[in-house]
Amino acid sequence: MSEDGQAPVAVTDPVLRVRDLSVRFDSGRNVVVHAVNSVSFDLEASGALGLVGESGSGKSVTSLAILRLLPPATARIAAGEVWLGDRNLIRLSDREMRGLRGKEISLVPQDPMSGLNPVLTIGEQVAETLRAHEDVRWREARHRAAELLGTVGIPRPGDQLKRYPHQFSGGMRQRVLIAIALALRPTLLIADEPTTALDVTVQAQVLELLHQLTVERGTAILLISHDLGIMARMTQRIMVMYAGHIVESAPTEEIFARPSHPYTVGLLRSIPRVAGVGRPLTPIAGSPPVLDQVPRGCPFAPRCAWALDVCWREMPPLAPPDAISFSGGPRSGGHLLACHNPVAADEVEGGKPLQPGFRPAPPPEDGLVTGETM
Amino acid sequence: MTASPTSASEPALLELRDVRVYFPITRGIVFRRTVGQVHAVDGLSLNLAKGETVGLVGESGSGKTTLGRAIVGLLPPTSGTILFRGRPVAGKGAASDRAERAQLQMVFQDPTASLDPKWRVGASIAEPLRVNHVGTTAERRQRVRDLLEVVGLSPGHAQRYPHELSGGQRQRVGLARALALNPAVIVADEAVSALDVSIRAQVINLLQQLQNELNLSYLFIAHDLAVVRHLSDRVAVMYLGQIVEQAAAANLYVDPRHPYTVSLLSAVPVPDPTVEARRRRIVLPGDPPNPASPPPGCRFHTRCWLRKQLGNPERCAEEEPEHQEVSAGHTAACHYAHEVPGNVGLSTVGPTVEPAS
Repeated sequence: MSEDGQAPVAVTDPVLRVRDLSVRFDSGRNVVVHAVNSVSFDLEASGALGLVGESGSGKSVTSLAILRLLPPATARIAAGEVWLGDRNLIRLSDREMRGLRGKEISLVPQDPMSGLNPVLTIGEQVAETLRAHEDVRWREARHRAAELLGTVGIPRPGDQLKRYPHQFSGGMRQRVLIAIALALRPTLLIADEPTTALDVTVQAQVLELLHQLTVERGTAILLISHDLGIMARMTQRIMVMYAGHIVESAPTEEIFARPSHPYTVGLLRSIPRVAGVGRPLTPIAGSPPVLDQVPRGCPFAPRCAWALDVCWREMPPLAPPDAISFSGGPRSGGHLLACHNPVAADEVEGGKPLQPGFRPAPPPEDGLVTGETM
Repeated sequence: MTASPTSASEPALLELRDVRVYFPITRGIVFRRTVGQVHAVDGLSLNLAKGETVGLVGESGSGKTTLGRAIVGLLPPTSGTILFRGRPVAGKGAASDRAERAQLQMVFQDPTASLDPKWRVGASIAEPLRVNHVGTTAERRQRVRDLLEVVGLSPGHAQRYPHELSGGQRQRVGLARALALNPAVIVADEAVSALDVSIRAQVINLLQQLQNELNLSYLFIAHDLAVVRHLSDRVAVMYLGQIVEQAAAANLYVDPRHPYTVSLLSAVPVPDPTVEARRRRIVLPGDPPNPASPPPGCRFHTRCWLRKQLGNPERCAEEEPEHQEVSAGHTAACHYAHEVPGNVGLSTVGPTVEPAS
């Protein structure tokens, strides 16, 4: 899991290795949006890695970059490598990439309605995926499609093949999409907010199904969500994304028990926790930055109660927290943090720095920061 | 907020009596005929006291939004009455009194869709004042400025267009517009659901602060059970157009008595991995039934896990359960409310409670 190959826990080689991935959008008139900035991570077989962040933080762009599905007219992968096994996906031709998508990497999209073609039957859409990658006849493809629908818990799958998406409920449509995504037993499944459009009881069914499939088939999941509850249930490791940067990455239990980045702490404190009923929530002040103006330092500095002068000048690298500057309790080896002034263990509860007289550093006068961040 | 007024002691500000809202299903173009009815809200009674927040939870299609719209007068109830300060405002014998209606306001889910993109924000906020002939133009302008400040925006925002604002700011504008006519009741329909986590917390705090300052009553409609619990004094759970359980918020989450509530609570992911790893989850089979033809007897019997445990008693499929009081102020519409195992609410209670292993 760690950057420099000291990963003693990892039994297998990672299925997916992302290194220094950066994505830029050219939005006309010389405006460049820095959507994803130097993102690196590993994902092992059977592992479930969570990517949390608010809208506009770059979660979905990261997943689309891995799948090479970014709009070619405006987006470009400015730097980085995406290794699936021994192939760097960034270097593959479009044709090679098409052969891979659906077969080795699949996507479960957020919206089950727009993910399916409304004028094709369910059977045609599932069989189509099989036919695109394997030399099978329609008859056999349909037979296998029925089997797949059965695996994802659709009752009477044989009868459902001839039906159209609008005849299915949201939960059933999402199951169809999962069936399509899993049709060719991919090694990696990217699930982008797979249950956001669903009701809680149906969401529980779909999450259960995804979990079961990873356990049975060894599929690795990159799960993208803003819902920390889903993350707690589904993942082994969580990466927190802010303004296109991964600001903290740690085993799931640890992120919740011992968050260290001020943004992670802020996120956890702004969700209602049943233990603290009646207490007002502590929102994070301000709003997320607009990414066409790149602050020179840490993008969270304008909203951060822990900000130091250095934060306005320099973006800290994502690295294991420094033992000396870090005053709060032990943590496991897999914890990575991009922060100059991490939150100490005893500060998490109160959500503010405890050092007497500490004031967050104001923005520098000399215009190092470009543009307003509201 | 914390004093949790229960309806018994205070007279209800808003009272719903056996409200039904049906939508006809029609066939044919030239000869349109009604072939069925969607029972969106089906015989629902509910009270809301002054300064109280009642949370309304349920899945999509359970009738939450339809109910909210009926209360503010956007949909006429098919039968039943809605009383405001003891006087009917909708349904049987309702007088169409605009001033009275103005006391009931709504905040919508999608702040982008509920503001006119071609109007400056100030004009949208002033619209209810203009429509109701309140004040002069100058007075209205001043009122808009005040309202913007109340919801934490600056007076300068009145000149902006909706697309120039962030989602959280737009929702604040929606709230300012709802507050323009000094309402007593605000129906907040998924008012914070579309917002990002950190922004959502800001709006939730604002809602609470306004309630304290203006003594507002909220009907807070949401599917997010944690947010509902955070804001509500009482919570009502809806399933297929009916309330199946109603209790003080603290009570409902710890000791749910309707099997549907139990499964709903158990399905919500809790942001705590240690709780998630240990809790018991009840996954309901299938989807909610079609509200055009609700199942006979208890509407939940087709998916009920408790009925299965009890050996599928016929009673559930034949007899519609009445609301029975399981403790003070806590009612559940289940024949076997007392058979619901205790301690099932544990799952959602969060990190402080020991889950049964």
